[in-house]
Amino acid sequence: MTPAPAPSASAASASPATTAPASAHAPASASAPEEGGETSLPANSRLSQAARRRLHRDARRVLLENWKGTSTVPSNSLYPHQWSWDSAFIAIGLRHLSASRAQRELETLLDAQWDDGRVPHIVFNPHVPLDAYFPGPDFWRSSSAGADAGAPRGVETSGIVQPPVHALAAWLVHRADPELSSRRGFLARVRPRLTAWHRYLADRRDLGGGGLAAVVHPWEPGMDNSPCWDGPLARIEPAAAGSFRRADLTHGAAADRPTDLDYGRYVRLAADYRDHGYRDAEAPHEFAVEDPSFNALLIASEHALASIVSELGDDPAPHRERAAALTAALVDRLWSPEAGQFLCRDLRAGVEPGEDRSGDEHPGGQLMQVRSVAGLLPLIAPDLPGHVVTALLETISGEHFGLGTHVRLVPSYDLRGPDFDPYRYWRGPAWFNVNWLLEQGLRRCGETERADALRTDVLVAADASRFAEYLDPYTGGGRGTRDFSWTAALALDLLKGRPEIESGPNSRPGYGSSTTDRPDLTAEHEEGP
Amino acid sequence: MFTIACQEQLLPGETLQQKWEFAQAAGYDAVELRGKGDFAFRERLPELRGALADGVVMPTVCVDMLHFFGAFDEELRRDAVAQMKSQLSVIAELGGTGAQTPASYGMFSRRLPPFEPPRSEQEDREVLLTGLAEMGEHARREGVTLYLEPLNRYEDHMVNRLGQAVELIREVGLDSVRIGIDSYHMNIEETGPAAAILDAAPYIGHAQVSDSNRFQPGAGHLDWPAWLAALDSAGYTGPLALECRLTGDDPAEALRAVPPFLTRSAA
Repeated sequence: MTPAPAPSASAASASPATTAPASAHAPASASAPEEGGETSLPANSRLSQAARRRLHRDARRVLLENWKGTSTVPSNSLYPHQWSWDSAFIAIGLRHLSASRAQRELETLLDAQWDDGRVPHIVFNPHVPLDAYFPGPDFWRSSSAGADAGAPRGVETSGIVQPPVHALAAWLVHRADPELSSRRGFLARVRPRLTAWHRYLADRRDLGGGGLAAVVHPWEPGMDNSPCWDGPLARIEPAAAGSFRRADLTHGAAADRPTDLDYGRYVRLAADYRDHGYRDAEAPHEFAVEDPSFNALLIASEHALASIVSELGDDPAPHRERAAALTAALVDRLWSPEAGQFLCRDLRAGVEPGEDRSGDEHPGGQLMQVRSVAGLLPLIAPDLPGHVVTALLETISGEHFGLGTHVRLVPSYDLRGPDFDPYRYWRGPAWFNVNWLLEQGLRRCGETERADALRTDVLVAADASRFAEYLDPYTGGGRGTRDFSWTAALALDLLKGRPEIESGPNSRPGYGSSTTDRPDLTAEHEEGP
Repeated sequence: MFTIACQEQLLPGETLQQKWEFAQAAGYDAVELRGKGDFAFRERLPELRGALADGVVMPTVCVDMLHFFGAFDEELRRDAVAQMKSQLSVIAELGGTGAQTPASYGMFSRRLPPFEPPRSEQEDREVLLTGLAEMGEHARREGVTLYLEPLNRYEDHMVNRLGQAVELIREVGLDSVRIGIDSYHMNIEETGPAAAILDAAPYIGHAQVSDSNRFQPGAGHLDWPAWLAALDSAGYTGPLALECRLTGDDPAEALRAVPPFLTRSAA
C-alpha cells in the first residue's frame, strides 16, 4: 500500500491540479506545431480485451488505495485532504466500484458545507500535520474567520470554492444503484445541500449582475494557473515575500511553478477574502471573473438537480428555469462569435485599483481574448443555440485545440497561444476531467464517432500513463503525479458507464435516457497481431 | 473473474452427484467439501472418488471439527494436525487445491469471561508456528495449500485479522500456507475490509463468503462491490466459497440468489 503522505510531501496551491511536484521539466518555450505544418499523431491507439481488463482492475485498485474511510484523496502521496471538484469526479467513477462509497464521498464533502451554502474547495483532514500543505488550515482559519459566513465549527476547510459539479455527480451516483440510494435516503439528504450550494452561487456570486456566477480567486475555476488569469492577476498587489512560506518549491522545480510574484498574488487574494470574514458582500474581490466552464458545469448541475427533484416527486421546473436563464446569460455574456468559443469575462477590467464600483448596476467588464479549454466545455450544456454548437465543434478540431487533427486529447490552452507550454499545469497539458466532459459533450451533440475516438484515446492514455495527473497533449506522455484518483475514476466510468450527463425524466430522446450501451471497445478496437 | 462454490451441507440432495446437479443449475462452479474428524473425511474416499468420476468439481475442503491445531490441550492439538494432514492428502488425491482451518474455534475469547487465556501470547505463537510448519510442509509435499482462516474475536483469540495471518505465514516461510479469508469475520475485525485485502494480497489463497449477519451474500449490509473489487485488484482468481446460514423459508431459493448477486456485485 502506498504510505501515508509525509509532511515533506507538501503541496503548494489550492488545488491538486496545480500542486503536483513537477517531474521531468520542459523548456519553458515548448514549441507549438509549425505554422501550417500537420503534426503527426501517434499511431492510432487500440485497446485489446486484455488491456481493458487490466485497466479496469488497475483503476479500481487506485480508487481502493486512495479511499480514506469516508472520502478519497486525489493522490495518496501528495494530496492528503479532500478536494471539492476532485471528489465529484471521483464519485462519478467510484459509483461503478461501490455505489455506497460514492454516496459517502459526496456526503462527506457536503457535510463541510457552510451555512451560507458554499461548498469549500478543500476539507482538511485533521490527522494530517498543519505544515503538510500550504495554504493549510492555519492560513484559512475557516472555523474562526469564517464563523460569520457560516463555516462549520467541527471541521477546517478553505474559504473559496471549486466548480459546482456536485449535483451532476450526485445524480449519476444515484443512477448507479437507485435501490441502495433510496434505502439510504441519499437524494433526499443531498438535495437541500445542493440547492443551497446553487443558491449561494446565484445570490452571492453574481458579481457582474448579469446572471452568471463569478470566481474570486484563480484557484476557484479549478484551472489554477491558466493564462486566462495572467491579466487579472497583474493588477493584484502581491503579499509581502516574507509573509508566507511556500511549500511547493520543496519538490517542484521553480521553473515549473508560479513565480514568487504570482504566488504572492494568490496569497494576497485569499488573505483579503479571509480578512473580510469570507463575506462576499464586503470582500473587495479585486479578482472577479466569469468563467464559461464554471458556469457550464453549474448549468449541467441545475439540470441534474431538476432530475433529482423530479425523482423525489417534486416539481423540477424551478431548476429547469434556472438552467435556461444561466444558459441564456452564458451565451449573452461569454460567447465570442469571432473566436468561435466562449471566453472569460474579467469583471474588474478597466477598474482603477481601489475604485468602488459595487454600486454599478452592470459592471460589465471585458471579454479576455485568451483561448482556454474552459471556453469549449459549455458543450455539456443541453440547450445551446445551434450556431454556437456548430462553431464549438469546429473550434475543437481547429488549429487552436487540434482534437483529432494535431492532438488526441484536448489541451487546456490554445496550441498556438503565446503562453502555450505542454508541461505546465493548465497552460497546455491535457487533463482527464476536461476530456471526460468533452467526451460527454460530443456524445450529447450526436458526434458519436468523435466521442468514441476520444473515449478510446482517453482510456489508452490513462493506461499508458499509469493514471497520470495530466499529459503532454502532443506526446501523451504522463506528467505530474501517478495513480491520480480522478484519472482512474473517469477511466473507469468510460469503461463501464453509459452516456447520461443529461439523463433524467426530462432528457432528450436519444441521449441520456437511451438504452444503448456504449459500443464495445473490444469489438471495434481489438489489438492487431 | 471469480468462480463460485457452495459448501456441500447447504445443497439439497442425498449424494454429492445430486448436490452438484442442483449447484450447477443454480449457477455454482464448484462444491466445497467439509472435513469431519476421526479421519471421517478419509473414510469418504470411495464416495468422493465416485463423485469425481461423475464430474463433481471439489477443489477445497473446510475442516468441520471441534478442536484445532491451536488447541490448549496437546493431545487435541496433535490430533488436529493429524486430521488436517489427512484432509490435505485426500484433497490432493481428488486433484483439489487445499484445505482450510482456523487456529481454533469456540475455545477462548478475550472479549468474554474469564478474558485471560490460560496460555501466553508467546506460547500461542509458538504453537501456531509449529502447527503451520508441520501442516504446511505436508501440504507442500502433496502439492496443495493449507488455508489459515482468521476468525472474529468471539470465536478465536489468536488469529482475528488478515495482518496477523500474514505475519505468521511470513515467519513460517512456506508458499504452501496461505490465508483463507472470510468476509463475515473480516467485517467484524478489519478497519477496512477492502484495504485489508489489498494489504494481504500476495498471501490470499482462498475466500469464503457470507454477509454481515452470517447469512448468504446479499442478505446483510456488506459493501460487496468494494470487497470483490479489492479481491480482483489483489489478483485473486480462485473460488468464492459460500459458507453461511440461509434466510427465509426456501433455502433453495436463497442459494439460487447468490451466484447472480455475486456476479452482479463483481461486475
